[in-house]
Amino acid sequence: MSGAPINPAAPRNSQYGVDPKYIVKRGADLEGMTSVLLNELIPDMPPVIYPNGRGPSVIKEETERALATVDFSKIKPGHRVNILASHHGFTFLGGEPYAEMLRTIKDVVMSETGAREVRLRAGLGMRFRETEEYIKAHGLDDYFEGKALGIAPIDAGIPIETKLGTLYGLRKAYDGDVIIHAHNSDVREVHFHRQVDRAVKPFGMSYARCETRSTYHMNLGPRGANFVARSIFESDFVQDKYGFSVFMIMSPQGVVNVDADNDLYALNDRTTVGGMKYYGKIISLFGEIDGCIAVLDFPCPVPYVFAAGVIYANMINANIDLFDLDNPLPPYTWYTETFYDHRGRPLIPEIPPVNPAIKMVVHNYAWTGYPAVFFAEQTPTIVVGEEQAKHFDRDPMNLNYMKHALLARELNAAMAFAYETTGTDKVIIFDGAMGGLNVSSSLAELLLKVAPSVCDRVENTLIPKWLDQRDIDASLLGAIP
Amino acid sequence: MKVVDVHASVNEDLCKGCKTCEMVCPVYAITVGKREKKFKVEINHKRCVGCWNCEQRCPEHAVEMKPCDPYIIGTDVSQFDYNEIEALCRKARFHPKQLVCYCSGSRAEELAAAILSGAKTPDALVLATGVGAGCGIECNQPILRFLESAGLSFERRKQSFQWLGRTITVWEVPSKLKEDFPVFRFEEDRQLFDRIINASVEP
Ligand code: SF4
Ligand code: SF4
Repeated sequence: MSGAPINPAAPRNSQYGVDPKYIVKRGADLEGMTSVLLNELIPDMPPVIYPNGRGPSVIKEETERALATVDFSKIKPGHRVNILASHHGFTFLGGEPYAEMLRTIKDVVMSETGAREVRLRAGLGMRFRETEEYIKAHGLDDYFEGKALGIAPIDAGIPIETKLGTLYGLRKAYDGDVIIHAHNSDVREVHFHRQVDRAVKPFGMSYARCETRSTYHMNLGPRGANFVARSIFESDFVQDKYGFSVFMIMSPQGVVNVDADNDLYALNDRTTVGGMKYYGKIISLFGEIDGCIAVLDFPCPVPYVFAAGVIYANMINANIDLFDLDNPLPPYTWYTETFYDHRGRPLIPEIPPVNPAIKMVVHNYAWTGYPAVFFAEQTPTIVVGEEQAKHFDRDPMNLNYMKHALLARELNAAMAFAYETTGTDKVIIFDGAMGGLNVSSSLAELLLKVAPSVCDRVENTLIPKWLDQRDIDASLLGAIP
Repeated sequence: MKVVDVHASVNEDLCKGCKTCEMVCPVYAITVGKREKKFKVEINHKRCVGCWNCEQRCPEHAVEMKPCDPYIIGTDVSQFDYNEIEALCRKARFHPKQLVCYCSGSRAEELAAAILSGAKTPDALVLATGVGAGCGIECNQPILRFLESAGLSFERRKQSFQWLGRTITVWEVPSKLKEDFPVFRFEEDRQLFDRIINASVEP
């Protein structure tokens, strides 16, 4: 059963994307597109509290409920408290649920502890003004009385002694007496974190200097690198300041609940299990697509555009089970990207190719601010609109992107070329449609046909294996919604 | 190798003299001073590699990137005996053809060639290759690993947030950690890296 296309996420004004006026047609408006609801594909998706028609107030209530279980005794009235946030949270559902969670944490901390200096420090990836834009868009600068800051990996650093030697955090992240780790559980970059210490990762990334991030992506290997975050989190320096963690728990359909704990590792186990349960099926289902055209159509850099609550990087990697730690190397990570030589040949035969099912990419709308040339090198890519091509040509991280991509003046022409060249009529659109995904009828048919057997395999074979590899007690599965 | 087609320029009417631009510049192209009660920001366009760091971090939005006549920064690898290039790459534990900078597309061999050409500091390597002039994040450790492998030490500038230090690699992870945390598969990752580094160099 499939229906009319779902409304895609609207283009957003940002210095990292073209002016929304240039996005004249969306993938969902193409002829022959339909939608499949996530519930039809995966009937046991957990119920969500947002979106549910009640607005962000439900997030406030849920955050208050979660915080009622937390011990605040580390925070004294005269303390400066840093709420540490990350950019990804703002990319869900327009950003308001995460912003509301952050506001509520501030209010509850102030009322429970008497602390007056409660600040927001919002980390980011490679777009150094990204969280600054979110802070403004959601009025967080006013809410935090001018004490809300975006923090970037080239800002002033602070050395942290860890089990891995000296690593470097961002001074502004740690300039409070107590820190609160405010994050989300979405699996998204499973190609990097491999669902190992997912909840701890920002300590090695959003709250860390470029030296530490480079250690993660260049020095330690695709699985070993995840120890970076743990080593920083467990350092005396961080433990001395760490108060508790608050997470917006996500499923591909929206916000499931808010979870909070003083014990980050307990929360990490719950989010690890939840991530496998909520995202394992849809990501594995993407691996069953035998050939398609991928349309990128969302206000985020190329690998982060969304469909069915998961990111395009999950599709690029869907030919390999990334939850399975026996697979050393995802088809796309920053390690893999370095392992191709100057002629595009893998340096060793065991480098897995990017998902060969993606026959062509139609880049209708995606942002700069993330090095994306690898994607255009590996998969034939057509960029829609000269403005977008120029925008990529100006980005210091993407000076070579258009060298590997074709340019089409408009979406229909790009699609006609893609259909003709690839010979497939299966189309998947990464446009942030909530509750389902926009696809061609042919792909809807395939997904609906194979979904039951994929769900069965994930549930009965894969999740037990994934948990076993991480030494996580399978009984936790029953304890999450 | 990078094509530089923009340079930073400052609107001094907006500048509040905080020196952030100076501190984040990877090649020390900026000096902030004061002249006649006004802040004066000097940008050395011979050094500016168009990385946008200053534009992105200036709290007053006083920096603008302006187009310039495009030119290439890079080091020609072919001017050196490739055995020397290869030896330095493998010492730094990179395959010579391995990518070290996602933004410029530079490979390990170019960092080696730049060192053989006389680059002795991180900023000199950025200027010689364009590595570090894009995201300014991920190539940080390759740059520092190459300098160390070539036996070059450098003094950090006080007036800079950049180049804090070389950090651990997978070859240096203590065996106790490997034993205590098998889920991180350090040893298997080390073996993967070794297979990469030791792969032959194809023309
Ligand atoms: S960062 Fe901006 S305000 Fe600060 S000194 Fe530089 S130009 Fe002036
Ligand atoms: S653009 Fe980069 S290299 Fe040029 S002055 Fe600014 S920080 Fe320095």
